[in-house]
Amino acid sequence: MKMAPLRQLLRRSRFFCTKASAGGRHRRNVKQVTRSNLSTSLEELRAHVSDCDFIALSLRRTGSASAAWQRVSAYDTAEMAYLKAKRAAERFQVLQFAVCPFSVRGSKVTANPFNFHLFPRDELKIGMPSYSFSCQTSFLESLVQEDFDFNACIYDGISYLSRAQEPAAKVRLGNPVHCSYIVKSPSSLSVADAVFVGRIKSRIKQWKDACKSSSTKTDDALIRSLRQLALGGEQYGSRPCMNIDVSTERQVQLILEILVEFFEELVPLIIPAKGGGTQAVRVVLTSSKEDKNLLERELQNLEDEQSRRVRGFREVIDLISASQKPTVSHNSLNDFTFIYNMFVAPLPSNVDEFICSLRSVFPHIFDVTHLMKEVVPIEKTPNVSASHSYLKNRFFAPIDMEVPCKGTENEGYNSHGHNVVSICHLFAKVCSILKLTPRTGSPDARHEDIALESYANIFGPSIVGPVGSFEESIRVWTSSTRAVSTEDIVFLWGFSKGLSARTLKAQLGGSPDVFLEDCFDVRLVDKSCAIVAFSQPGLSGKLLSLMSSEEISGRLREMVSEGLKGASYEVYKRICRQEGLWEGVELADAFDKALADSNPSSVAESESKRSEIYWCSDSIINLDDL
Amino acid sequence: MNSPSSVRVLSRAVARALSTAAPTPSTFPLKTVTRSNFEPVLESLRDHVRSADFVAVDLEMTGVTSAPWRESFEFDRHDVRYLKVKDSAEKFAVVQFGVCPFRWDSEKLSFTAHPHNFYVFPRQELSVRGSSSEFLCQTSSIDFLARYQFDFNLCIREGICYLSRDQENELFRRFNESSNLPRDLVDFGDRPLVNMADVFFTERMKIKFKDWRDSLVLGGSSISESQESSSGSNQQFQTIFYNMRPALSLIGFTAHQLRLIQLVTSKHFDDLAYVSVNSGGSHVQQLVIYIDSNADKDLLLKEVKEENHRGAESKIKAAVGFRHVIDLLSSEKKLIVGHNCFLDMAHIQSKFLGPLPKAAEEFAASAKKHFPHIIDTKVLLNSNEMLQRQMKKSSTSLSSAFALFCPQIALGYKTPDLSLASRVKVEVQVDDIRASSWDMGVKHEAGFDAFMTGCIFAQACTHLGIDFKLRSPLEDLAHNKLLQGHLNHLYLSWTSGDIINLTTGNITGKSLGANDSKKRSRKIVFENIVLLWGFPSKLRAGEIRECIVKVFGYSSVTSVYQLDRTAVFVQFSKAGLVSDFLVLKETLERNNNTVSVLNPLWKLLEGGKTRAANYEAYKEICSSPLSKISFADQAEAVGINWKVKSAELEVAEERPSREDEPSHGSFSVNEIIDSFYTPVVEKQVGSGNL
Repeated sequence: MKMAPLRQLLRRSRFFCTKASAGGRHRRNVKQVTRSNLSTSLEELRAHVSDCDFIALSLRRTGSASAAWQRVSAYDTAEMAYLKAKRAAERFQVLQFAVCPFSVRGSKVTANPFNFHLFPRDELKIGMPSYSFSCQTSFLESLVQEDFDFNACIYDGISYLSRAQEPAAKVRLGNPVHCSYIVKSPSSLSVADAVFVGRIKSRIKQWKDACKSSSTKTDDALIRSLRQLALGGEQYGSRPCMNIDVSTERQVQLILEILVEFFEELVPLIIPAKGGGTQAVRVVLTSSKEDKNLLERELQNLEDEQSRRVRGFREVIDLISASQKPTVSHNSLNDFTFIYNMFVAPLPSNVDEFICSLRSVFPHIFDVTHLMKEVVPIEKTPNVSASHSYLKNRFFAPIDMEVPCKGTENEGYNSHGHNVVSICHLFAKVCSILKLTPRTGSPDARHEDIALESYANIFGPSIVGPVGSFEESIRVWTSSTRAVSTEDIVFLWGFSKGLSARTLKAQLGGSPDVFLEDCFDVRLVDKSCAIVAFSQPGLSGKLLSLMSSEEISGRLREMVSEGLKGASYEVYKRICRQEGLWEGVELADAFDKALADSNPSSVAESESKRSEIYWCSDSIINLDDL
Repeated sequence: MNSPSSVRVLSRAVARALSTAAPTPSTFPLKTVTRSNFEPVLESLRDHVRSADFVAVDLEMTGVTSAPWRESFEFDRHDVRYLKVKDSAEKFAVVQFGVCPFRWDSEKLSFTAHPHNFYVFPRQELSVRGSSSEFLCQTSSIDFLARYQFDFNLCIREGICYLSRDQENELFRRFNESSNLPRDLVDFGDRPLVNMADVFFTERMKIKFKDWRDSLVLGGSSISESQESSSGSNQQFQTIFYNMRPALSLIGFTAHQLRLIQLVTSKHFDDLAYVSVNSGGSHVQQLVIYIDSNADKDLLLKEVKEENHRGAESKIKAAVGFRHVIDLLSSEKKLIVGHNCFLDMAHIQSKFLGPLPKAAEEFAASAKKHFPHIIDTKVLLNSNEMLQRQMKKSSTSLSSAFALFCPQIALGYKTPDLSLASRVKVEVQVDDIRASSWDMGVKHEAGFDAFMTGCIFAQACTHLGIDFKLRSPLEDLAHNKLLQGHLNHLYLSWTSGDIINLTTGNITGKSLGANDSKKRSRKIVFENIVLLWGFPSKLRAGEIRECIVKVFGYSSVTSVYQLDRTAVFVQFSKAGLVSDFLVLKETLERNNNTVSVLNPLWKLLEGGKTRAANYEAYKEICSSPLSKISFADQAEAVGINWKVKSAELEVAEERPSREDEPSHGSFSVNEIIDSFYTPVVEKQVGSGNL
């Protein structure tokens, strides 16, 4: 601490790279980007992206999960994990998006962090990109701790539109679209078409001739405007133009075909209708071939400009995607559900579809948490800084971080979004420990790095549950890895609140006909609900049928009469799929609602879906990740 | 040591000045209240409210509608309108609360106003189970606030927290529950310590406590402060006195270690007691206390319990925060004045009192209990003919009504005009500074909006014939005869003109006085309505009408109203057609053959995702706490069993139509509202006070 001023002075006076082994000392070197400096920063980023090996990403959100059970947990299959992440991505908003292109050369890592401030401002007044978003006060307060400037974010944050929203936005804007290609329609002209073509053709000719003749003569203004009125002509910039109203897309096609004849002078523009489709075709008269080229270039620029304005921050995403460089994040399922939803398209309802579609946008995604799993038990490393200190104490893998210092705080550099640099650092460190040398040299060499590639694109419930938030946090699971089929899982609720997993287990042990000793384990999901995992097949079904039968006896009977209820993993799946059941803070509420609401139609629905989830039913959950 | 941080602060300040347009201070005197000055302001506000003739209020929220289809529509029945307001009040947060007491000064012959602008933020000071620490933001509303230079930093960092009465009660209940419970040692009690670290720790504590006790009892002089630094931890023992008893204060132990300590004292020492004392602040004291006897022990535990109780009370009181202002307004039973304030009242109920009831009538009962006298200036301006004439048919939005009614205040007395003689004079007092002239205040700053509302009300009163100069100071304005017709009348929804009377709970479809009669000529018969959604996305209202008319005849459809791109209301001319339609739809879908495809209705059903239901389903969908952007997604997520719905419908159809419905022949309008989709920005964003 006492060294700090000196070091700062040194850094400022030298004004070039500082080196350090830990992440802490580059804190001020993150370039902050708002809408005022987006375009210049974009060029800078483009250069760094083309030079780098990897791109690390880190997102700051307005919230994560509304209730403890809604967090992605180890008892979730891939599908459940995805549904939970999807729900969060659809509710919450990203306020900061840090991007850090970095290169690894041996033990040296060079990183160039950018932190983009986002706000889903409806720039075009069309209800996009986002109608509303949720905030969790605890998340906003942690931003306050970091001295986050909410005014800057809301006033100057960069907006964006997803790829799916962009075409819709263009239609809603109603700006004319230049259309240069015309495909001759295969079908022959009907009588009505022929009449239409003849009428339009003569109208265009008349108008064109009139314009030409008027341009040679010097009429007075009154006559010119009268003529314009009579012919339906208008001005497009400095050039004369005419609007031809259309009622069907067929007519648009026909008009474009007619215009082929006049291609040397006339440029067609399509004016979209508000509700979609086409309202009119605008024909612009140019004075020469050069003039026509000029107009076409102008139109192209206009369109590019508009597209840039519409895309906003998505330019960055498109840039990363186009580079095909591998991306690195700390929790890829959470990050990429947000990224997909904000910048690609609404999230598909199915996890396979999501992963498949995501891969076409980001072909290589590395999850640092997943890589860390190879080295350390997951519960030791709930976040980036915990991972850092864990590795630091156990492994000798010095990494030389270099974050070039390009400016001062006044020039828009500070520590916000610094987490992304820590992710780069952590990634390099874990790779070094795992002896996965990230490639050096030519870009092609990367694909030869099969060892590292085997870690790419793995999504799953990789996050730990809230450490310590579970009562007592007693670890009921044995230390050996044990996989449990979802069929051997039973959810229990309705026991007295505040019971610990151990006590519950002891109580259940009083019914030895199902709860054979050493054949089951109990864990709390939240205060209201517990999971029982059987290590013998068939016991879960036995328990559930026993609980609803007359034969129930002993301690279990007592517990059931006091309100204990049970359900299979299938019911849990139904809860995850049916958002209407997500209300309530506690999982027990959702279970009660799900059971009360098991009407014929939803049963039919789940049966029809059963075939597609069968692959899921033998999917395993790794209880050691708890 | 200091230099880096001060440099940082300075440069941060510079950066902020450069990067963000800091909200410009308004020259209008306005008391800004945050958590730093809340307590003293609350005390002074008490006096102002007590002496006030009426109190104007205004709220700024983070949004109004949680989905486009939750906006107010013509096809909303009263109960649905209430559900939409309820949804809004439950989902969005209040970020600013304007309170402006007005008092008639009989010496100066003018009103004195005390505008307060409270920044409120739903920060969770104490965790309350069931209360959500989550709120929704409507992007356009946030952007709207930003356009009026709302200071989000101040709000989130310094906003005043609050608890509703229900939450407060719940906290007390839980606190009492936990303090009455015996210490839970079940998990720990009989089990031998298995963990070696625990065994060592327990032994060490045993020795430590024994030494300490012995030194006390034997009068040893070496009661030393000790710090266990050997292990590098910061565990500390400190001898202090707790309520005249020697005590050992434990610092730096984990919860687990404290539990072991508790075990040690209860098992091995009769004359030591472990207690945990929380006297209100964030600091909790962990103490091992020396006791003389069992009687002394009981006394001590009682003392500790009382102190903890006082501590919890003061904590909860602090967490109640801004609700003290609401309690003040409610307990003083003053006349509350708001502009288009039904949504504001719903927010007040849901944030500060308790959950909103399911129906508007119950809400009215609760509102009447807490705020017996409410005047809505928007209702007042629209329902009184004389005021209508004054308004000259101009907009009754807050700012234009203010400019029209109180030009002398709006323009700061800059234009001397003879007509101003009839204008009510208003002075503003903030702290000790009085002002009767200022530049225009900041619109959509809750404190200023409340001030404008109060001024409009004062002026409207004089137009109604209330002469403040002749009024006795003891007379309660809320009981003035001239106001009785308007008291507790609020717009349930401004777009429809539906007015709810909070005194009776009745809802009337038309406004009381003169109003645009053409607008209300259209009668809607909810039994005749089919809700359609999930149809092919290219279809618009006109085409849908076309399809249905081809099957059921030209006069079968009265109107088609587009709810959003994915859903429409179809109003049939007869209730019987509703079930005919549903039956035909089901038959076509079931058969799904060439004959079906040839039916004109098939165009609607293409894609196989078209759903239809009667009006009750709409209510059910609106009552769901979910808010998907498109109606079709919402309906799917809510997952109502539609088959059941249509079956119910066939029964309902048997019922004779109610008497108050007009005969079918009276439908004059065949109106199709197409492409309703043009965004009405002001409607969406203007936080309810248009």
